[in-house]
Amino acid sequence: MNIDSIISDLIFIKPEIAIAATLVLIVLVDLISPKSKTALPYISLLGIAIAGVFVVQQFGTAEFAFKTSLSSGMFAADDFGSFFKIIVLLASVFVIFFSISSSEIKSVNDHLGEYYTLMFGMILGMFFMVSASDLVLIFISIELLSLSSYVLAGFVKNTVRSSEASLKYVIYGGVSSGIMLFGISLIYGLTGTTNLYEINSIIQIQSFPHITFLIATLFITVGLGFKISAAPFHFWTPDVYEGAPLPITAYLSVASKAAGFAVLIRFIKITFINSIDHHGNWELLNIIDWRSIIVLLSILSMTLGNFTALWQDNLKRMLAYSSIAQAGYMLLGIAVLSDQGLTATMIYFIVYLFMNLGAFFVVMLIANEIGSEDIEDYKGLGKTMPFLGVTLAFFLLSLAGIPPTAGFIGKVVLFIALVDANMIAVAVIALLNTVVSLYYYVRVLKNLYLVQVDEEKPVIKLSFANGFVIILLAAPILIFGVYFTPIVNFAKNSINILGF
Amino acid sequence: MTLEIVLFVIFALVCLVSGILMVTRVNPVISALFLVVNFGSLAGLYLTLNAQFIAVAQVIIYAGAIMVFFLFVIMLINPEHEKRFLEYKPQLKIFAVAIAVLVFLQIAYIILFSKPSEGVSREVAASVKAGTIEQIGRELFTKYVLPFEAVGYLLLSAAIGALVLAKKKFK
Amino acid sequence: MQIPIEYYLILSAALFMTGIVGVLIRRNAIIVFMSIELMLNSANLTLITFSSYLGNSIGQIFVFFVMAVAAAEAAIGLAIIIALFRNKLTVNLDEINIFKW
Repeated sequence: MNIDSIISDLIFIKPEIAIAATLVLIVLVDLISPKSKTALPYISLLGIAIAGVFVVQQFGTAEFAFKTSLSSGMFAADDFGSFFKIIVLLASVFVIFFSISSSEIKSVNDHLGEYYTLMFGMILGMFFMVSASDLVLIFISIELLSLSSYVLAGFVKNTVRSSEASLKYVIYGGVSSGIMLFGISLIYGLTGTTNLYEINSIIQIQSFPHITFLIATLFITVGLGFKISAAPFHFWTPDVYEGAPLPITAYLSVASKAAGFAVLIRFIKITFINSIDHHGNWELLNIIDWRSIIVLLSILSMTLGNFTALWQDNLKRMLAYSSIAQAGYMLLGIAVLSDQGLTATMIYFIVYLFMNLGAFFVVMLIANEIGSEDIEDYKGLGKTMPFLGVTLAFFLLSLAGIPPTAGFIGKVVLFIALVDANMIAVAVIALLNTVVSLYYYVRVLKNLYLVQVDEEKPVIKLSFANGFVIILLAAPILIFGVYFTPIVNFAKNSINILGF
Repeated sequence: MTLEIVLFVIFALVCLVSGILMVTRVNPVISALFLVVNFGSLAGLYLTLNAQFIAVAQVIIYAGAIMVFFLFVIMLINPEHEKRFLEYKPQLKIFAVAIAVLVFLQIAYIILFSKPSEGVSREVAASVKAGTIEQIGRELFTKYVLPFEAVGYLLLSAAIGALVLAKKKFK
Repeated sequence: MQIPIEYYLILSAALFMTGIVGVLIRRNAIIVFMSIELMLNSANLTLITFSSYLGNSIGQIFVFFVMAVAAAEAAIGLAIIIALFRNKLTVNLDEINIFKW
């Protein structure tokens, strides 16, 4: 490997370079004109747009960049990675819109430059995560994402709640990354390499102690399970989601989770694959029973998330538990261990992006007005905030999976994949969970519309820009709910993971 | 070769004992100092493994920079001493220690059971070569240049983040 | 005679579990962070052991990265502790948990 090949490989990391350059630009702009903060969101949006163009251009490539050996490299530029980069970028655009109108972020206006810098740190980390095919890069990019999000979770530092959330996050995060690193070190010891492709080719031919490999893999799963907030590694989730500023909560629940899923899928598929048959079923090496592990994680996440959400009074906290449950549904698609299941998970992610961000955004706008996220304080809001009430109801119904919304399509595709793989029992458990989840979503609706309030409150107006953002989030849910061919095709076309 | 074993035993014992003392001392300053001892003995262990460059980096970065930072924050905050081991929630702590010992025995059993020393035998020449600064530098700036750049951004984000959090209150 | 690799691995496992115990039983946030550093260091010891016994330098490069990450994590963690200390005047984790189950 020489300097020429490094330079020629730069073409594969154009989106990452765009993001990194924007990060530096934001720091510089903030240094040069420390008084004016209005330009920062637009610079960020511009950087994201440029990165987005590069990502779209990259669709169709399947190449290794930064090769560490003849047949494998550090960074896999493929459609699977590009898909998750699009998800991350879409989430970033919306979260920047959220940040512009969030009253929590306005209260720290002096530090807006740092805010957007750290946000781009997160994006950069996630970009590397979704494309990394080497455990070294996986570990470092996860840390890049985590360190930036620890700070952002505690960004409104003059509130105790935010600081405590961030302390809790950094302690749990530090422990889980320590455990993950120990797992990685064991895998390196067993195989002598950190590249996923090389590990795969070594474990295909060599015999070695399975139990050590199992322990090492479980340790790595702890680290990844922390990132996707799957039970039983979810303990940080409710506290951090409740304590962090709302735009960051929304971002953690969508983008950070997406990146974690991408790493998990790539890790399982590349490292343990033996062959893929013509139906697209993954034949995994007979070392670790991945299906049982993931089904276990998934059922735990769904059940724990949904049942704990039942008695939450804070809507942010309830959405946190709901997002744990949603992670459980998405894990089901991976547990199928086939291209069909992977497609289902990816479709679910597109839908989840819009509905979860939408729900958090409406909660944020309501909190801006009434200063509370308590479900009891939502009584009668359906009358005083008619538009917000209707859209919140719509997003929550989509999260629950009620028919005309895209949330329904996401769940149906998942259940079909489960049934096709003969995992009927798991499908039934997931279905029962959906029924349970209906209860706590509908409880919010009940407070919005059915509870009578005596005092007459004035109708609160919504700014045009915020209404537009809500429509941008709600329209896809409605459209994909009835006309879902485009997202299905998009997901189907982007399941190509390099090498298989 | 006996010198190697003597050094290993000394460093390993110091490392283990100082680690345990770090966890059990009630005074945070003493804990931090034991952690420095622990990192120093780890550097010694790295030398017995022919990892010269990392051994030096361990002393400079960990035992030097990071631990000074820890001590500085301990002095700044001056936290009160914790309660002694058995004074506060003893059942919970004993349970935690018991679980940890159990997991350790499990891991130790697995390590002994899988007999890794039959698979690998250290070739001194290769092992010395792997630890030289030339070898590490060459790989770092060719094969591992991408993670290297990523770490650069990680440090930048961390510096900005630490700055924004630790600064005085907002006006 | 060469030192068998098991010795190093068991030492590193012992350090790792010491770190875990520290995280579980200590209530002082700073000491919890020091225990996390201990866990990272035990993983470093494993990496270097294997790197030395296998004769390839990937493990040592990884350790180099881990040191940078650990430094960054310590900086962020301690900054968060300072920010919290300004608000609450304590670093005791038992007093910090306002969040319920």
